[in-house]
Amino acid sequence: MKLSCAEAEKVCTKAEYKEAGFMEKLRLKLHLYFCRTCNDYYHNNKKLSNLLKKAHIKTCSSQEKEAFRNKIKNGTSKGS
Amino acid sequence: MEANSINPEKWVDRYADYLFNYTIVRVNDREMANDLVSETFLSGLNSMKNFKGEASERTWLISILKRKIIDHYRRNNSQKGQAEVKMQFRDSDNEGDWLEERVADLSHMTAEDEMENHELGLAILDCVDQLNEKQATIFKMKTIDGVDTETICNEFEISPSNLWVIIHRARTSLAKCLEKNWF
Repeated sequence: MKLSCAEAEKVCTKAEYKEAGFMEKLRLKLHLYFCRTCNDYYHNNKKLSNLLKKAHIKTCSSQEKEAFRNKIKNGTSKGS
Repeated sequence: MEANSINPEKWVDRYADYLFNYTIVRVNDREMANDLVSETFLSGLNSMKNFKGEASERTWLISILKRKIIDHYRRNNSQKGQAEVKMQFRDSDNEGDWLEERVADLSHMTAEDEMENHELGLAILDCVDQLNEKQATIFKMKTIDGVDTETICNEFEISPSNLWVIIHRARTSLAKCLEKNWF
């Protein structure tokens, strides 16, 4: 039943992506109750998730990146 | 100080997302942003010999991109003044006279909020750039693009528990990196 700190941190991360199982979450809660360090970690992790959500980062799709790559490649071969 | 070197093969992996984010808030159109970024890469290639290595590669690319964005505004402006900047003073009597004012404000954010979030986005990407390449790619896939665990595991041939270790490490370094300004 007992979770090590390393494991607890991993479950924390999983929970941020909503992929921690019920038992895992239960064990995490128990651990957080006793462990100050992991508790801090848990809250920081939550804060990070909020920041990530707030930032609305958009990435280029892999096709878009491929298109960039091709353009650069054509550009270099023309240049040399 | 050693001069910064230039390395076009790595540009897309290193800077595409950063440049793209920088552009999209300014032009608000995905396709246009893509065009501007690829134009920037091409201009960069053509003027590589002007790169003195005083600034970092990315700073240099951003300075090219800025000029591209300004050119884009000018082109738009000369077409029909769509990009003209209007001062808005709240006036309940006349509200809605301009077509632009009738467009619903979906975000309910003030301009300051938006600016801050934009800066935050770039700061996060900055920190992501400091991770190693595999970590950064996996982190972005999982967190920003929301790709599911199984797909990523298959693509990189890693186990789920491996994936979580990578994500966990990435998040820890990110938090550390962002700590000074954003926590």
